[in-house]
Amino acid sequence: MDPSEAEFLAEKETITIIPNFSLDKVFLIGGDLGPFNPGLPVDVPVWFALNLKQRQKCRIVPPAWMDVEKLEEMRDLERREGAFTPVPSPFYMELSKLLLNYASDNIPKADEIRTLVKDIWDTRIAKLRLSADRFISQMEAHARLDNLTLMEINTIRSFLLDSLNCMYRLRSNLQPGSSKDRADY
Amino acid sequence: MSDATFEDECDVNQDDSQEDVMTPAELIAKLEEAWLNEKFSPELLENKAEVVECVMEQLTHMDANLQRVKKGDMKASIHRMEIDRIRFVLSSYLRSRLQKIEKFFPHVLEKEKCRQAGEPSLLSPEEFAFAKEYYSNTEAYLKAVALKRMPPNLQTVDMLKAVPEPCLDSFVFLRAKESQENILVEPETDDQREYVVDLEEGSQHLMRYRTVAPLVSTGAVQLI
Repeated sequence: MDPSEAEFLAEKETITIIPNFSLDKVFLIGGDLGPFNPGLPVDVPVWFALNLKQRQKCRIVPPAWMDVEKLEEMRDLERREGAFTPVPSPFYMELSKLLLNYASDNIPKADEIRTLVKDIWDTRIAKLRLSADRFISQMEAHARLDNLTLMEINTIRSFLLDSLNCMYRLRSNLQPGSSKDRADY
Repeated sequence: MSDATFEDECDVNQDDSQEDVMTPAELIAKLEEAWLNEKFSPELLENKAEVVECVMEQLTHMDANLQRVKKGDMKASIHRMEIDRIRFVLSSYLRSRLQKIEKFFPHVLEKEKCRQAGEPSLLSPEEFAFAKEYYSNTEAYLKAVALKRMPPNLQTVDMLKAVPEPCLDSFVFLRAKESQENILVEPETDDQREYVVDLEEGSQHLMRYRTVAPLVSTGAVQLI
């Protein structure tokens, strides 16, 4: 999967905005939006919030977890724990990236948040690499991956799955009869 | 053939939702599920003709409504953005199915041939036509460039053997949407023993596609 597709899915999450215009309810196929009144917060999907932001028609309220103290806590926990800790949003990476790129003026301490999210991401990816290594060296057939997000899975997907397939093919050639010959092509 | 399949699937759908009509939002969610499953599964899944058809209907309906709105309307631009997003998912879904048909065409057609009457078809009528045409074109091409210059005993090629089968043993990432118990995990090597795992609702796993294939088609697990 392309990272942009993970971002596409992240854009479906809802976020609070404070519009500076007024508009009646909009009846979209995927649900209703609005009504919009200047100064009154309203929940909309991220793709719409970013579009309004780019047209300077709203202020984005950053999600509650996008806060220096909370993220610091998370980073420390992530470093202490051996397993993956629960993330505040299944799209934390994509959302931080989108919001920090397009609405950094609405986010207090945007630079610190950027660094913290990157730290959390790095710690998690390091864990992910370690566990992938263990998975392969112990030749496991099943792994549980709670708390991993789509983007994290994505970074390792093609590499891990292709190597597992290759190893499977090599192994099934070593054990004749255990699987039918795949060298057809 | 196509009509029968279509009705069958609609019936199934009605049973699922217990006479409720699916809301457009649920419909879009269904389409996205089908899109991700199709994207990540190694084999071609059953076609979701009813979902595709309903989404198309929604899109044309909305398009027609938008034709009547004058330019520069804020609401219209919101609707247009949403339509574009849905259209992206829809075409990505259909495209990934076509890619798989191109990759596995002899096997897809073989499966279609072995299908019992009454069983739902893997392919939509359009996809079936595409697969058949792709088959005959590939065959004609091979004949034109190479086969007819071969000695007579080597002039045929068995497509089923020439094109690799989908590898059902590849690993997939998945999330359990409903709890499932006692999924048998086969051992990787001879000195390991097989064991069972339970998939709790909402938990995520990495395992072979073959073990969970039936669960993907019933919708109990979502590939991620």
